[in-house]
Amino acid sequence: MMTNKQRNGFIATVLAVLWSFAGIRKGRDYQLDAEQLNPKHVIIAGIIGGILFVFTILAVVNIVVSQ
Amino acid sequence: MSAVPHDVAHGHDHHDDHHHGPTGLMRWITATNHKDIGTMYLIFSFIMFLSGGVMALTLRAELFQPGLQVVQPEFFNQLTTMHGLVMVFGAIMPAFVGFANWMLPLMVGAPDMAFARMNNWSFWLLPPAAILLIGSFFVPGGATAAGWTLYAPLSVQMGMGMDMAIFAIHIMGASSIMGAINIVVTILNMRAPGMTLMKMPLFCWTWLITAYLLIAVMPVLAGAVTMVLTDRHFGTTFFNAAGGGDPVLYQHVFWFFGHPEVYIMILPAFGIVSQIIPTFARKPLFGYASMVYATASIAILSFVVWAHHMFTTGMPAKTQIFFMYATMLIAVPTGVKVFNWIATMWRGSMTFETPMLFSVGFIFVFTLGGFTGLMLSIAPVDIQYQDTYFVVAHFHYVLVAGSLFALFAGTYYWLPKWTGYMYDEKLGKRHFWLSMIFFNVTFFPMHFLGLAGMQRRVPDYNPMFADFNELATVGAFGFGLTQLLFAYVIIKCIRGGEKATAQVWEGAEGLEWTVPSPAPHHTFEVPPVFEAKGHHH
Amino acid sequence: MLVRLAIAAVGMFGFGFALVPFYEKICEVTGLRNLLVSNASDNAENTQVDTTRNIVVEMDANTHSLAWRFKPLQSNVTVHPGQLVRVDYEIENTLDRAVTGQAIPSYGPKVAERHFRKLECFCFTQQTLGPKEKRIMPVVFVIDGTAPVDMNEITLSYTFFEVAGKG
Repeated sequence: MMTNKQRNGFIATVLAVLWSFAGIRKGRDYQLDAEQLNPKHVIIAGIIGGILFVFTILAVVNIVVSQ
Repeated sequence: MSAVPHDVAHGHDHHDDHHHGPTGLMRWITATNHKDIGTMYLIFSFIMFLSGGVMALTLRAELFQPGLQVVQPEFFNQLTTMHGLVMVFGAIMPAFVGFANWMLPLMVGAPDMAFARMNNWSFWLLPPAAILLIGSFFVPGGATAAGWTLYAPLSVQMGMGMDMAIFAIHIMGASSIMGAINIVVTILNMRAPGMTLMKMPLFCWTWLITAYLLIAVMPVLAGAVTMVLTDRHFGTTFFNAAGGGDPVLYQHVFWFFGHPEVYIMILPAFGIVSQIIPTFARKPLFGYASMVYATASIAILSFVVWAHHMFTTGMPAKTQIFFMYATMLIAVPTGVKVFNWIATMWRGSMTFETPMLFSVGFIFVFTLGGFTGLMLSIAPVDIQYQDTYFVVAHFHYVLVAGSLFALFAGTYYWLPKWTGYMYDEKLGKRHFWLSMIFFNVTFFPMHFLGLAGMQRRVPDYNPMFADFNELATVGAFGFGLTQLLFAYVIIKCIRGGEKATAQVWEGAEGLEWTVPSPAPHHTFEVPPVFEAKGHHH
Repeated sequence: MLVRLAIAAVGMFGFGFALVPFYEKICEVTGLRNLLVSNASDNAENTQVDTTRNIVVEMDANTHSLAWRFKPLQSNVTVHPGQLVRVDYEIENTLDRAVTGQAIPSYGPKVAERHFRKLECFCFTQQTLGPKEKRIMPVVFVIDGTAPVDMNEITLSYTFFEVAGKG
């Protein structure tokens, strides 16, 4: 447990959000998320992730349309 | 009101163990008990379901044959509009709130909802709204006939029936927002010791996320219809091109509400199914964490796909492609859920009581609806399908076979807990099979009708569509009559039957199964201690 | 928490209205719906106007035993074939009673009639003028490009006749 607790909080938050977009998460990782992450950070990361998601699709669309 | 003076004096955190409120009708009018209010929500939504159903059957009767036989086109348009509004705002949404009221406090081990009196208010706003909505049939000009989406400029032009519909939506929206606030606070603040967020039953999770969606989008709908109202009466020109407005703007604002609304109507259904399948597969839910994450991501993504309802409004190609991709991606977390349910059933020791039948039926038909949704998300294809019966088939597959079947499943699942008696299993199964068969007889042919080019919301049609329309009408009347069987099963179960145990179902887990059946008027006045088992392995 | 959620709901109500200027801004920035800014190069140009030719149209106005004052606001106008032109006439009833009249056009040369396309004219219908009433009435026309190249001048003449038996 102690080694897991040393996970970098920032990376852990981002990872949790990224997995959530796929809708998949290992049960064990989820437990760790729930224990370690600050919900506020997760919400902020989720909103930023959503915005990034929009821009990623926009970029893809631009590439597709430009051809 | 319902509280005895002693209770008022001491505020609400001091509850009386044997508190006797008014009896008779006043018990219901002044109800603050979450079980009473939940019951009223469920009865209300069933009444609205039947009235919306009668409208649907009138439509189907008219469409039985080409030409005009039963109703005039104006009345037909009113019926299509009101059928949609009544079913969405009167039947499906209040039914889920009813489930939330009954079950959430029992599931998280709370004595009641967080704001009991606000709860009473949010229910009692609904009957006046329903009267306003249905009463609009009888005013000069009749009810609104602009379609349930109330698109401008049509909605700016209608008679006073439109104003009544707008006010009804305002009231129902206020009711939904108060209900949602109540649910959020109950879930976040009133869980029993030991019940951390990630140990909550999935139904609580889906409702928590749904409640946030409701708080985010119901006010936007209220804003949209307010703009219609001021355009109609106060000289604003939000949607009037002559005054610098834009009717397409209405569609953007409406669907900014409308797409999350789709998930508001389906996420609690996911929650109910996620409770039932583990019970009857006698296995914990596969991928509980994935389910929570998938629900959350569906909720976030639902805000960036709205314009896929508007592919034919002349958007630039780039915008169309953006919304097409975003819509296709939202299918991923939904697909994850379907896989998780199937994986939960995989090698489980399954039995097929009525709730399980409805849940498995839900997965099957809902997935079909999901696939037609994917077809519609393809922008160039959508231009062909737009406003045809293919769309009608699609959203009835997700709303009737999705939300409604989940509601039936949940009703059968928790009915013994509510009434203390087992329902008639044989009749319940019959209800399922008849519903399933008639549902598909009604709506499956509509796919073909739509692909062949039959428009929705039109009372007459080309005679070449006659055969499938006859079939659909026969199915619709079968489906409608089957729901009377449902009413009979419920009434029979309330009247009596085999006594239900506290556990009710062999594989059931969760706090709601620790209280006796029927659930006493007051439960968990002393918070239970929740010991996690099951969910994670 | 109740207060915060209520504020969120009210905020979202405001957000619904904020979508209006937001939408207009997006449309403006992306150039999707420039209703207010006209962009000349985007407008369809009329390719039918033959600017190499000028035709002078002389306007003539008469009345026939009718106590109306009837005159064009300008005596002549120079137009290109294909060009949409509007000219105005002034009509005044000098009598103390209402009178109905009908204008009959004629063209010189006669062949010009075939190339003179009117989109709007007071001569399309009977005109009733109240006592002492004065009116400005338009004629909107196009001379089509098939007009003979030697046709440089056209006289457009109107004569108002009283329509008897009408107030």
